[in-house]
Parts: sequence; C-alpha cells; structure tokens
Amino acid sequence: MARSETAVSLAGVRKTYQLGEPVHALDGVTLDVPRGSYTAIMGPSGSGKSTLMNLVGCLDTPTAGEVVVDGREVSTLDDRERTSLRGTEVGFVFQTFNLMPRLNALENVALPQLFQGVDRETRRDRARTLLERVGLGDRIDHMPNELSGGQRQRVALARALVNEPSIVLADEPSGNLDTETEAEVLDLFAEFHDAGTTMVVVTHERHVAERAERIVHLLDGEIERIEDLGTVGTGNTTPEADRAGEGSGQ
Amino acid sequence: MNPIESLRLSWRSIRGHKLRSALTTLGIVIGIAAVIAFVTLGASLQAGVIGDISPDDQRNIYGWAAEPDTEGGPLAGAQPVFSQDDLDTVAESDDVDAAYGYMPLSTQALLYEGELTPQSDALVAAGSPYIREESLDEGRQFEMGEREAVINPAVANQFEENVSVGDELTIVLQGGERTDVTVVGITDSSEGLSPFEGFEPSPRVYVPTDPYYTEQGAGMVPGPGGEADENGAGAAAEANATPDDARFLAIVVEAHSAEEADIDRARNSAAAYLESEESDAGALMADAELAITLQTSAELLQQLEDVLDLLQNFIVGIAAISLLVGSIGIANIMLVSVTERTREIGIMKAVGAQNRAVLGLFLAEAVILGVIGAILGTALGLVAGYLGAWYIDLPLVYPLEYVALAIVVGIVVGILSGLYPAWRAARTDPIDALRYE
Repeated sequence: MARSETAVSLAGVRKTYQLGEPVHALDGVTLDVPRGSYTAIMGPSGSGKSTLMNLVGCLDTPTAGEVVVDGREVSTLDDRERTSLRGTEVGFVFQTFNLMPRLNALENVALPQLFQGVDRETRRDRARTLLERVGLGDRIDHMPNELSGGQRQRVALARALVNEPSIVLADEPSGNLDTETEAEVLDLFAEFHDAGTTMVVVTHERHVAERAERIVHLLDGEIERIEDLGTVGTGNTTPEADRAGEGSGQ
Repeated sequence: MNPIESLRLSWRSIRGHKLRSALTTLGIVIGIAAVIAFVTLGASLQAGVIGDISPDDQRNIYGWAAEPDTEGGPLAGAQPVFSQDDLDTVAESDDVDAAYGYMPLSTQALLYEGELTPQSDALVAAGSPYIREESLDEGRQFEMGEREAVINPAVANQFEENVSVGDELTIVLQGGERTDVTVVGITDSSEGLSPFEGFEPSPRVYVPTDPYYTEQGAGMVPGPGGEADENGAGAAAEANATPDDARFLAIVVEAHSAEEADIDRARNSAAAYLESEESDAGALMADAELAITLQTSAELLQQLEDVLDLLQNFIVGIAAISLLVGSIGIANIMLVSVTERTREIGIMKAVGAQNRAVLGLFLAEAVILGVIGAILGTALGLVAGYLGAWYIDLPLVYPLEYVALAIVVGIVVGILSGLYPAWRAARTDPIDALRYE
C-alpha cells in the first residue's frame, strides 16, 4: 500500500484497561485523519484523549478495532516495527516539551534521525534548517534550560518534523505557555500545516482547538460530535504580528 | 544505532554527573590498581631474587638434615650431623668437585682497633670455595687451617676506620672468649653468599671451619632435643671431645658444572653416602629419624617463589574483592541512573529509539565507567609498583600481560554490572516513562 490519502484511520477502536473492573478508555472510536488536515481533539479529563494519542502515536495497541498509520495496521506490528513506524511517521509535541536536558537545541532536533541511522552531517544540516524555520537559528547551541518555554516548544516542534512524519501529534502544546508564546507556537503549527504537514492537536482549550479545520469532541471514550470549522488560515494574527511574535521569542 | 554514536551520547551522560561518575569508578580504580601494583611488585621481587643467584652458585648443592616434613626455607629444623669424615668422603667422589661444611656461629661483638661493635650471629664458618672468586672485591679466599677471614662491606664499614685487607679483627664469641682473625679479603656485597644466609644485607665475617668451628663445635652432640642438649649424654660427650667430633649443621657440595646431569650425579653420590650407615651423618640421622635435603639455590628459591606466589595470589584475591565491590557500585549507580532518566528513556523511545539502542546506550555508559576505572587503576598500580620496587630496591618488571588483562577486566566488569540496569532501561514502557515525574 503506497501513501494513502489517509494519514491515520481508526475503525471501531476500543481500549480497555483492567483496573479491578474493566474500564473502557476508548469505546468504539472510528475516525479518519486525512493527509494535510489539521484536527483538534477536545474533551474533558478522562474522556480518552491521551489513550487516543498513544494509539495514533503507535505507543500502544488497541484492545479491539483497527488503527492504521501510514497504511499499516498497528496491532499487527511487533514492538520493533511499531517503534520504527513511530520514529519515521509520527512526530510528538508534548505539553512539557520533553527535550533531552543534556543535549543542546540542535542535538535535540537531530535525535530522532540519530535513531534512524542518519549520518552526523546530514542530521545536523537538517536540524539547523528546521531550527531556522522555527526562528531559532541563533539558538542552536543553547541547552533546553537556557531557552524560554516558547523556544523549547519550537525546538520540540522542529524535532517532531525532522523525519518528515505523516502526522504531528501535539498533546496540549500550549498548556505550559503564556498567551503570547502560545500564539507564536500555534502560528508555527498553522505555518507547517499550510506547508502540508498533517496536524493533530489534543487540547481542552477552545481557542487552541479553533485553529484547526475541525474539532473532534470526545466524551467517555466515544466521539460525541465532530465540529467542522472549514479551512483556517493563520488565525487572527496578521503577517506583521507574526513577525513581531517571532522577534520577541529571540 | 551506530556504536560510536552510543558512546558519544553515553559519554555526555557521564560528563553530566562528574562527581558521581568519579566516585563510581573509584572502586574499580582501587581494585585494578591493587592487583597491578602487587603483581608488579611480585614480578620485581622474583626477578630480584633470581638475579641474586650468581652463575657460579648454580653448581652448589646445599644440604642439611632435619625431621621429615619440616616446613620452611633453607636450614629449617636443621641438626648438626655432618662430620669432617663425611665431608672428606663426599669430596673424594668423582662426581663431586668439592664438599665442605657450613656452620653459622653465634657472636657477641666485633672488635677493631679498640672499637667494639655489638654484633650477634656475625660469624659464618665454611670451606674456602664458599667465598667465590668473583664475589671478592679485594684480597683472596681464606685458607683452611689458618686464622684468616673474609669480611663483607657491612663489617668493613662498621667501624670509625674502615677495615681493610691485612688488618686484624677480634671476634667476641658467644661464651665471651675472644679469637683473632686476619682479614684477607672483602666481598663486593653485603648480601648473603648462599641461600643459607638469606639474601638480605647484614654484617658477616666468613672464616674457615677449621680452626674456628672445630674448636668451638667439638663436643656438640646433635639430637632431636637440639644442639645444646644439656643432659647426661651431652655432658659426657663434651668431656672427651676432640676436634674431629665437630658436627656441621650443613654441607655444601660442589658439582662439576651447573649442568643438570652433573648436579644430579653429585647430588646422588652425596645422598647415597650420607644416607647410608657408613657415614657418621647417616648413623645419627637413623637414630634421630632425620632426613637429608640436598638442593641447589634455584631449587631452594623455588620454594621461596612458591611462598611469594601464594602471598601474591592472596593479595590479588583481596584486590579482586575490591573489584567485585566496584562492579556492584557501577551496577547500583546505573540502576539509579536508569530510574532518574526514565523520562529521557521515554522521550528517546517516543522519537523512535529501539530497545536495542537504549540498551546499547546504558551498556556503553557502564563499559566506559569500567574502562576508565581500569585505565586509571592500571596507571595508579604501575606508579605504585614502580615506587614500591624503587623503595625496596628491586629491578622493575612490568607485567604487561596484566595491563592488557586489566583493561579487559574493566570492559567485562562494565558489561556485567551494566547489563541488568540497561535491560531495565530498554524495556521501560514509553507511555509510563513519559508520564514519569
């Protein structure tokens, strides 16, 4: 199966945890994420957002149903193959950034390619290019603790993109950011989405979700409704504000 | 994942915890340093001891009689059983170049030019060949039947005015009686001339057994109770003593050459006679149930070497325990490190690190700690061994194979102690790890 039109598709996915009595974290979720789309997933705590993320990110396998990432069914893959698929086809952006504390910005961005066996020079070139694109061209030698929250999240975004994944999964990407830096990061998301990256953002904040093309509302492990917002651009920010925002992050 | 990349990444984690890493390797450093230092010292000690046997000494066979199964070095439990007759008969054999008695004598003091120096056990009575030509710095060997002596530098330099060849020296014997000797030679070293004396430097005056021992020793009756048996038999023997009654504590048999065949022939010839009832020694030995030992310096030193080896193995064994403790230290710190970096492991796995890559990273870290410990330990051990050898004045021998072995041990210790922690790291669940605070 070559590159399908669907980056990720879930069909009747159920995930059950045995915590004394069976708990259905996800109960029959069917969802297609088309290539190049921008999807937000919303829902209260315990609605199954994280479980959905873990399944789409090939970190976990469903109890029942099918999760297909880049044309491959995750539950038929062994641990090695899943790791490999995750490494090449999924990019993660976490609420807490999750950068390696002892690696500088460049090395953090290059890390996923290290595990793909890409040689050092290629890795560094690629990482440098991406850091420049997220506006951190002059911060490549900085360690994570020398960067602001917004800068860290931009490094994390660059890292998520380094292997040109089918999908970028962002889990509460602005949860630890103030309003201004949140806007910068979300602008970058929009920018990469415009450039063709498939984005899935999990959030519980309405204004973050509204940046997406559609919002999937989860409740008690089921899809409550899907809200279509149509095509979105860079939101409320003008190109001038965009540039100013990048400048303040430096 | 490329092993060089693993090493690079692991090295960064080690550098990230400098003090902890340094303390962790300390156990390995101490263990390996101890092993290397003691092995270096042991090898140097053996080289030193073997180097002390002069080529001319190699054809000498040293014999003494003791109760069977007596443990210890040369002369352990020796009883004076060899008569002058025995020595003469052994010397007459075609297989033997020369044979003479050996007897250490107790002294109280040495007197030179009115200056008295207390000195016990300074006198060694032996045959002329005991002083080998090449060990003489000045003068000549003493002659049998003459009141002559060869002294070693320790005696010569003991007095305000150095003793030189031709001078008169007075020896105060155990009983207080004095005897005069003319110094006819000075040896080149104060170390012992044979295994009987031991090799440590000490002041010694070498004199011919005749007259010095035959006068003194006459009347001594050997027996299981010791040479100074004061019971009736001893007293009776003393009463009608003649110089010929003197019994020597040990015998030195000189073979024609250091060739093994010559040595064996001389040894067999001497043993056959001395163990038979024909000889005075044989008769005495049969009564007292003594057995004779006839060995060359090399053979006697072999025993010493065996003891040294045993001692060295013992110390190396203790050092090995330190290595074991060191490797437990690495394992412990690696386990802490794995727990501490759970989140990092989760990140790595999320971005596509295979279990094998994570395993490799942590294993590399443990191996780096082990190898650094081994290298530092080896360097420290060699320095300690060098200082030790220099301090005891031994020829320095570096056991190079042990240096290679130490590095291998470092790697092995690293792998063994890192295996379990690395395995734990590798099978960390990324979902749990990413949630880990």
